[in-house]
Amino acid sequence: MSIVELRNVTYQYPFSERPALEGIDLRIDEGEFVAVIGPNGAGKSSLCYTVSGFIPHFFKGELQGSVVVGGVETRQSTLAECVRRAGLAFQNPFNQISGAKYTVFEEIAFGLENLGVPREEMRARVERMLERAGIADLAGRSPYALSGGQQQRVALASILVMEPQVLVLDEPTSQMDPIGTREVFGMIKELAGRGLTVLMVEHKVEWVAAFADRVVALDGGHVIAQGRPEEVLTDPLLAERNFGLSRYTLAARAALQAGLWPAGRRLPVTLEEAVEGFKAAAA
Amino acid sequence: MPEKLSFYIQRSSAFHSLNPLTKLGLVFAFIVIAYTSPFYWTATVIFGLGVLPLAFVGRVQREFLLAALRLLVPVTGFIFIMQSLFLPGGERELFHFWVFRVTVESVAQAYLTVSRIFVMISAFILFLLTTHPSALMTDLTRRGLPGTFAYVIISTLQIIPQMQSKAQTIIAAQRSRGMETGGSLANRVRALVPLVGPLVFGSLVEVEERAIAIEARGFTSRLKKTSLYEIADTRLDRGLRWFLLGLVVLSVAARVLAG
Amino acid sequence: MKLLNSIKKDFNTMTWVLIPVAIAINVVIGQIVMVLKLPVYLDSVGTMLVGVICGPWAGALTGALANTIWGLAIDPNALPWWPVALLIGFVTGWCARGGLFRNTWKVLITGFLVALVAAAASAVVNMLLIGGITASGSSLITVYLLQTGRSMIDAVLTTNFLVEPVDKISTALLAFAIIRGLSVRYLARFPRPENAAVEKNDLVALIIGALVFVVYVILVGSFFNIMFLWVGLAVSAILVLAVVLISVLKKA
Ligand SMILES: Nc1ncnc2c1ncn2[C@@H]1O[C@H](COP(=O)(O)OP(=O)(O)OP(=O)(O)O)[C@@H](O)[C@H]1O
Ligand SMILES: [Mg+2]
Repeated sequence: MSIVELRNVTYQYPFSERPALEGIDLRIDEGEFVAVIGPNGAGKSSLCYTVSGFIPHFFKGELQGSVVVGGVETRQSTLAECVRRAGLAFQNPFNQISGAKYTVFEEIAFGLENLGVPREEMRARVERMLERAGIADLAGRSPYALSGGQQQRVALASILVMEPQVLVLDEPTSQMDPIGTREVFGMIKELAGRGLTVLMVEHKVEWVAAFADRVVALDGGHVIAQGRPEEVLTDPLLAERNFGLSRYTLAARAALQAGLWPAGRRLPVTLEEAVEGFKAAAA
Repeated sequence: MPEKLSFYIQRSSAFHSLNPLTKLGLVFAFIVIAYTSPFYWTATVIFGLGVLPLAFVGRVQREFLLAALRLLVPVTGFIFIMQSLFLPGGERELFHFWVFRVTVESVAQAYLTVSRIFVMISAFILFLLTTHPSALMTDLTRRGLPGTFAYVIISTLQIIPQMQSKAQTIIAAQRSRGMETGGSLANRVRALVPLVGPLVFGSLVEVEERAIAIEARGFTSRLKKTSLYEIADTRLDRGLRWFLLGLVVLSVAARVLAG
Repeated sequence: MKLLNSIKKDFNTMTWVLIPVAIAINVVIGQIVMVLKLPVYLDSVGTMLVGVICGPWAGALTGALANTIWGLAIDPNALPWWPVALLIGFVTGWCARGGLFRNTWKVLITGFLVALVAAAASAVVNMLLIGGITASGSSLITVYLLQTGRSMIDAVLTTNFLVEPVDKISTALLAFAIIRGLSVRYLARFPRPENAAVEKNDLVALIIGALVFVVYVILVGSFFNIMFLWVGLAVSAILVLAVVLISVLKKA
């Protein structure tokens, strides 16, 4: 059963000349992990905003086609209802801190307060969330006094605690150092393991290959390719269009042109696949 | 730069555990009575027998006196001297020198004003020392203040120190680039733009993302909000508030009757 | 009902997020100005900004909260002046709704109108709570005027009408410069972006702007003779009427 369903969606921001999304058709099934890749300005963030209801509720502008999340048309409900179905977290961890709270515990409870969750249940849910996110030791700290990776995990926890049906992530690690990246991906891996439905924009294709059930490639507001990660991420079309592909893929492509990659073998995405391929070529 | 913009000192005392609204009511009652009571010494009495002993009850006497010394004494001292010297009128001259003529009336008037200002500000200092901002906002929200107000107040308290430290960084950076922050007026006006520009635009750009972030947390949800903490409101609190209201009414009535 | 809707319109999530930032801008610019020892305060730039792009009610709330929070968290002596700050945001908001924040001359007029209101309001607060002589530098003018035999209320009003226009006009111009630096798409998220639609300088606004200077010179004259204060205020009143009339006529 699809939990997100976009049909022929076209959207144009106010005061802009051309649509940011054009004729998008996209279905996401329950429990599926879908990664979105694309060059700058491809419309990746716009897609995230569309699924989580910020388009059209927050950004206004003109939305055509139908966006159904959790069985409800986003246009027909309020933004607060939309974000309950599809929670959104994005790049900048600092700007995701509400500012209304003094400790991590309170910060994570903020969304539940807004939803009117009773106090006892709220405490229990926040405590469980802290454990799952591996940040129980930060509960009493100020959210401003954390590292980027910790802040981003707090941001994710703050959304997840509201128990959305879909989690939308817009480049959650793009402003992290390697340690922060690993922390955040560790948490996402755990989520994926639990069967949460995720739509994630991510540049780091090696990570995408490790988690995603399906990859959607966006360019110029269009879906130009989608399918299993190893197929999409090695698609020659993407290399031509300046998608940031994995360095292993790029190396193997060059090797293929020089006749050093086994003909007919799929290009690698990860280090292990590359090693396998080159071993095969050497043999 | 202060990490947190808050006077609050976490201690346990009978005064701390009063409901925030009761303490706020106390502050307002003190101020209104100090300004309306027809008796000359009211403000002095309120400070001496009200605010000051309560600072001891709340076990914040040290911080209270320091804050009063730092924030209040210079200002009220200045006002007292200026008003004593310059308030016009007055018959009974105390002394005069050069162009100044100090009269009993001007000193009396200056003392009255200063004692009232003292009550107004010291009562607030006491309140702030013993009340956590989020306890106050939680309590007021529960009583029907829109949740957006709590957001604005707490968020402001957290943003100001962040902006101040950004300002420090920018000032230091511009100075090391050779910008003069002294010299002629024209020089100093010219220095304003490179200091203010990055700060203001930087912080305004973040507004959009922050709005998205709090919307994503159900900020505009129309469901009735709950709160993580429960703020106690005892019978004693309610009784006190009625009592304070009574005092205020009495004081205002006395003023009206006294003309 | 109409009033309630007008109030509601000023507040969307962007407004709620902008207000804390605007208050912080007030505080920080106020402190930078102190570091630079400029002869103005400029501590209501943020308040005016909110008044313009969100509306008068949001501006009023920003002003009131700014002074309360400044008073509660930094310097309690700022506390009593919150009604003045409230009016600054409110008047700026209404001026902007009347189209008076779209070019330099109009902004100057707004600054002047705000100054008149602020001067009167702060005189009231001062007389009621502080007794006329405050702890700020401009009290020296008041004190000097008292020495020349003025009454307290005369001296306070004269001081305020001398000091406020310079500060509020500078503040308004700075707020205008900031607004011009913001993109249309960004401004579009706020409740009243049309207030900030920049237009070319026009002749009428220029003439009125020039008149503002004349009026200010008259007000400065009150330093020497209190008569000038009343003349200056009378001319200001005529000016305000003229501005209102012109904007009404233009709309019709
Ligand atoms: N608020 C806005 N108003 C108008 N146009 C916008 C707005 N935000 C984005 N756009 C435009 O919409 C298009 C898609 O932008 P979007 O942010 O969705 O791309 P993206 O794939 O997320 O890019 P990036 O990799 O830079 O994050 C771009 O052409 C961009 O300029
Ligand atoms: Mg993006």
